[in-house]
Amino acid sequence: MMPSGKMLPVMLAGGIVTVILGFVLVVLLISWFSNPPFGLGNAPAQPVAFPHTVHVAQNNIQCEFCHRNVTKGEAATVPALETCLFCHKDIDGSTETAKVEIEKVRTAFDTNEPINWERVHRLPDHVRFIHEAHLRYFTDEDILVKYGINGEEITQTPDVAQTCTICHGDVANKTEVQPKTGQSLKMGTCLDCHRANSVPTDCTVCHK
Amino acid sequence: MKLTRRNFLAWAGIGAVGAVACEGFGIRQGELNIQSPVSLPEDLVRGTDNWYASLCRTCPSCEGIVIRVMEGRAKKIQGNPYFPTNQGKTHARCEAGLQALYHPDRVPSPMRRSGPRGSGQFVPVKWQPNGMDALKEALRTRGSSSVLITEPLRGHMGLLASRFASAIKGEHLGFEAIDNNTLRAAFKNVYQQDSLPDFDFENSKFILSFGADFLSTWVSPTRFNRGYGEFRQGKDRDRGMLYQIDSRFSVTAASADKWLPVRPGWEGHMALSLAQVIVSEGLQASGVDVDALVGGDAGIATLNTFRPEVVAPLAGLTPEMTGGNPVEFLKDLARKFAGSSPSVAIGGGSAGAQTNGLFALEAIYALNYLVGSVGVKGGVKFNPGSPWDDVPASGNVGSLADWTRITEQIRSGQTKMLMLHGADPVHGLPESLQLRDAIAQADDLFVVSFSPFIDDTSALADLILPDRVYLEDWGDDISEPGPGYQVVGLQQPVVNPLPDLDPLSFPDVLLTMAQELGSESQLPWANYKSMLREGSDALFAMNRGSIDAADTEAFWNHLLRRGGWWDETATGATDVQAPTGLLRTIANKASDPEFNGIGVGADSFFLVPFAHNTLLDGYNGHLPWLQSAPDPLSTVTWQTWVELNDNTASRLGVKEGDIVRIESSKDSIRGVVYTTPAAPPDVIGVPFGQGRRHGSDYATDRPGSESSNVMDILETTQVKDTGSLAWAGTRVRVSKTGESVSISKLEGDTRAVEIGHTPAEEIIKTIAPEDHS
Repeated sequence: MMPSGKMLPVMLAGGIVTVILGFVLVVLLISWFSNPPFGLGNAPAQPVAFPHTVHVAQNNIQCEFCHRNVTKGEAATVPALETCLFCHKDIDGSTETAKVEIEKVRTAFDTNEPINWERVHRLPDHVRFIHEAHLRYFTDEDILVKYGINGEEITQTPDVAQTCTICHGDVANKTEVQPKTGQSLKMGTCLDCHRANSVPTDCTVCHK
Repeated sequence: MKLTRRNFLAWAGIGAVGAVACEGFGIRQGELNIQSPVSLPEDLVRGTDNWYASLCRTCPSCEGIVIRVMEGRAKKIQGNPYFPTNQGKTHARCEAGLQALYHPDRVPSPMRRSGPRGSGQFVPVKWQPNGMDALKEALRTRGSSSVLITEPLRGHMGLLASRFASAIKGEHLGFEAIDNNTLRAAFKNVYQQDSLPDFDFENSKFILSFGADFLSTWVSPTRFNRGYGEFRQGKDRDRGMLYQIDSRFSVTAASADKWLPVRPGWEGHMALSLAQVIVSEGLQASGVDVDALVGGDAGIATLNTFRPEVVAPLAGLTPEMTGGNPVEFLKDLARKFAGSSPSVAIGGGSAGAQTNGLFALEAIYALNYLVGSVGVKGGVKFNPGSPWDDVPASGNVGSLADWTRITEQIRSGQTKMLMLHGADPVHGLPESLQLRDAIAQADDLFVVSFSPFIDDTSALADLILPDRVYLEDWGDDISEPGPGYQVVGLQQPVVNPLPDLDPLSFPDVLLTMAQELGSESQLPWANYKSMLREGSDALFAMNRGSIDAADTEAFWNHLLRRGGWWDETATGATDVQAPTGLLRTIANKASDPEFNGIGVGADSFFLVPFAHNTLLDGYNGHLPWLQSAPDPLSTVTWQTWVELNDNTASRLGVKEGDIVRIESSKDSIRGVVYTTPAAPPDVIGVPFGQGRRHGSDYATDRPGSESSNVMDILETTQVKDTGSLAWAGTRVRVSKTGESVSISKLEGDTRAVEIGHTPAEEIIKTIAPEDHS
């Protein structure tokens, strides 16, 4: 049966509404399945309770000792278990919790099983972000004034660890790594920071 | 709903879209994971390298090195340009130290013997409680009848080992397969010095070397090579002249202006013959009191019995060798030596490894008094010893007489415990001593090895407690020979052991044991680093030398950065006087060399073993780079080769690559024939260092490798008055086996050739330095 001439605009409007609602639904579903939802909220539990407080705040281990590619390339990288065992071959941990968690790392190494951490900071696949370039910019002493991702003015040239905190927050004092409070690291964040620092905002700067 | 064709298609379409949508919304497995790999990726990053100064331990001279470390891994070893003895130069041996670090055959953790002794069956155990408690219990019950056998130890490790042995009421002995005890005795008797001296080749005009292969393996070859480079091609100086008197065509002989293939064991007589010519013709340096040196008329008379006319035939010199009358040759050599001031005479190697080796070396080194080269520029330079009062500058090394005694003690049950570190006496002593059997058959003996590798002796151990290798541990060394002034080298850990290894520092284990056994008063340090740090603070308090620092912390940091400390003003003795009548005393000691083994015959030969260019006495046998480094003369790698004269090989009916059996009265070994015109017809040369029976495949006599240990056939003949092994005092028989292999050497004709056969070679001969002198 063919629709009558009166029915056609209604069906057309209904189709458009359905497409729009479908698109919204798809976006919501993708955001929901992205973890944490909308890039906000708490990160999931990690397979090993690694305390940055002990390693960075108490023992002053530099960020780039473990994230050894952070000043050299695109990804910061998480350390190989072998790197952990540089020290934890001899260091057993001072608390019962620490002993248990360190033993997990040793066991993983002995059984040749990698550790799959839950990703806390994630950018979409179509985004290119290079840690090395950002660290080089913020640690450049010749650039006298810089701006952070919330527009804060930076006049003292930060070191590598301080630069990390601009986007990642005070990781050194967190027992669990979480996104920086109130900060989603979405495209708007990138654009705001690029504009504040007079860095190009062409699509191809960040998008693959 | 009625199932119509239209409904079916609609639902099918909805289902397909839903499936695609759900797959798109879903998160792929691992999408949100970030992975820590197990092993450190080797080539992931570019980055900055760090260079650490330390000490090399692949040869006894302990050269200063710098190590490139990147991402926690040692990548490259080079010479430390600041270090006074080697001044930035290194031997190939140093560079191969990385292979000790990453060797696949390292003992990964403590191990306890699980099968019969010598079976090589071990099971891993924990350091605590099994390893350390077993060691502690053994020390408590057997310490007073124990022997600690180590490599020759200088510096704080020498102090620690001797105090530890004293604390447990045991004995400590250093072990070297090719020891310098005879050389040391000669220096003591001739120069009254306890430390090995330096030789100032750089400023010398004439080097007269008796058997000392100083460009390859003798004493401190990197330092000597550097001096030799200046000696030959230094700026603002004439090219120096080198004569090598040697029963084998060594690397140094190949570099010499003239090589004189003396009959083995007659080097001392030749030295006295040269002395006789110098004295009788009045060629001595000005200011030398010949009468006192020779010992008056009686001394002259004694010395005259060594006239060239007498010695030349005894030493086997022929007109073909000397290019004319041998007597005139010796006289001419004496005149050149005495007339080329400053000149220096040195001796070692096979010249000191005969039954009359001590006499020979004393006669050789006494020549330096006659030409005024003692304690002066271009001659013999003495070293001052240790900057610390209680820290030894020389290792305490046992002689064959000592090892014979210890073997007997093991057999009789008097020695109940052996501790081994850096020493493989079962491989490095003549098999006829039967140390292997004594250990294997002892009923009440406990053997502990601290070796990071299995070798012939640690294979007999009851307990193996692996040490860290030198790139992972602390240490120091008082350079011997030093450059004529005090030099202390510092060794620091540049990397941690790989995660799958569980070694413990040997000195730290000794200190822990000493404290647990109640010997804190003798060894009060918490660990070896704190002992070294105390030594550093003591150096700072001396307020002299190369480091200018405000406090002890700054001094220690400078010490680490430079790899050592030295004081150019703290020189050795410069006014050493010869004992009265020295030449007469030496001449009265003269004796003919005695050879054991097979008697003289058409198929018997003088056996002249020699230290392998890279493996030395076998200490480095497990390092594949050094196994595959070609011998500088034959270019042979991996195998045990037998240097045979071309004509001798023809007479025996063998050619290059044939396997021969070398037989003494004790045993026999196999070797691959390498023919050369430069081998004296009645001498065969065989390198030390190969033929381990246990441990790494790289070092052992695996099938087809033709790797033999020449120690297996040596007689236990001793050097008179020192008790050292006379390792060049064995005669052997050589016979065909009928087997043949491909000899593993470089392709092409790399053989030594005699010059003077072709027109081109005639030109070379014409412009040889001898004809220009």
